[in-house]
Amino acid sequence: MKNPFEIHNIQHLSPSTCNTFIGSPATFVMEKLLKRRGQVGCAAFRGTATEAGVVHGLLTGATDDECIKVANEEFYKLSALSQDPAKSKEQAAVPDMVRVALAELRGYGPPTSTQGKIEYRFDGLLVPFIGYYDVAWENHKIIVDLKTTHAIPSKIKTNHARQVALYTAAKGKDFDPRIAYVSTKKSAVYRLEDVDQHVAALGKIGLAIQKFISMSDDPMELASLVVPDVDSFYFNDPLTRQAAFEIWGM
Amino acid sequence: MGIGINYETNSADFLPIIKYDARAGRLTRVDRVNGESIPTDITSGFKAVFDLENLETGWIDFESGAPQYVLTRLGSGPKPEKPGDKYREGIRCLVKLGKDFGGDVREISSTAKAFLRGFDKLHDDYKAASAENPGKLPVVELSRTAPHTTGEGARKSTNYVPEFRIVSWVARPGDLVYKERGSSTRNASTHATPPSTGATKVAAPAGGGDLGW
Repeated sequence: MKNPFEIHNIQHLSPSTCNTFIGSPATFVMEKLLKRRGQVGCAAFRGTATEAGVVHGLLTGATDDECIKVANEEFYKLSALSQDPAKSKEQAAVPDMVRVALAELRGYGPPTSTQGKIEYRFDGLLVPFIGYYDVAWENHKIIVDLKTTHAIPSKIKTNHARQVALYTAAKGKDFDPRIAYVSTKKSAVYRLEDVDQHVAALGKIGLAIQKFISMSDDPMELASLVVPDVDSFYFNDPLTRQAAFEIWGM
Repeated sequence: MGIGINYETNSADFLPIIKYDARAGRLTRVDRVNGESIPTDITSGFKAVFDLENLETGWIDFESGAPQYVLTRLGSGPKPEKPGDKYREGIRCLVKLGKDFGGDVREISSTAKAFLRGFDKLHDDYKAASAENPGKLPVVELSRTAPHTTGEGARKSTNYVPEFRIVSWVARPGDLVYKERGSSTRNASTHATPPSTGATKVAAPAGGGDLGW
């Protein structure tokens, strides 16, 4: 059997890739098969920067101000060339998000690992899942993923649940998986439930991707099977929108 | 207890059905006519081929509108986990009704303990004789229904246990084909309801912040 992932030069899957496949199959085709990467929005940079500041504080015990400085520098580094109109809004949110997150997470003590790589294989899936968890406390058997947001959800979002479930499956079922949602004003840490089912869902999604890309060795043929919803946020970036036009002519 | 269900201590997909009312001790065939369910009593003289080879056991929720099933074919894997509070242990079995009752293939499912008690006995009889009847299925009659009273005082209630009897064995009828359905599952990891993600807020572990930096 030919490995369709090799044919399409995909070495592994991730929860993020699965989310893209679910949310916008056209974006999946564009980015993963046609290798036309869109610009990352500043909302993503806000998350990365906040995490950098928070992890710095948790690891070193640095003051909030020092952590905010680390986060701001990270945001600047990531977004220096970005033309995202939301840039200043996201940049402004970073300091308060760092402060709120630290208030929530300092009580856990210094983490024993951060940005830990995990690898997980599903039966029948020809590539592994690879991911990176945010923070773990091996001493408490707690794993936490930090999610920055402008509106705290009342429960864990499904795509986040699958992501953290995968980390838990790879780290060990004795871990207590949690997701920390942080806004500029408040935070909420929720405990993940039904881990096994979320992991199983990721496996199914992975197999669906495998089946989809098995249908043709030609990315353009696969592109012809999907249609982009150009009004969705996946196509907010002008370059991504242009790429969609060039691929699908719409 | 040959089918592994404890009826002692606790209180389809799209196939037409027959129903057993344990409180009345009656069997009915239910037909959909112009969107309405029309029951026809088939207790007297009931006879059918039971596909006990593909008996499904597990959990059934009859309370939440359309029945929800989380079942495994008996002997094909572990018992499914109980998916929710409304689910009760139960069985589902395909039957081909005798000619006098329509002659079509239907399913019967139940969580009623009185029914399960009688059905368990039928299954024991089937197992005891199936080796002598390879490749065949039992033709089953309903001999009678026996009252079974539980509880005392205001909680006293009487249900009727069906007494099934195997009267002969026949080759599997051509239209009596077991097919695993969406509500059937081979393993316990499949659930009838979507997973929850979690909305329980949790705090930092006790003493976590005392570790220092």
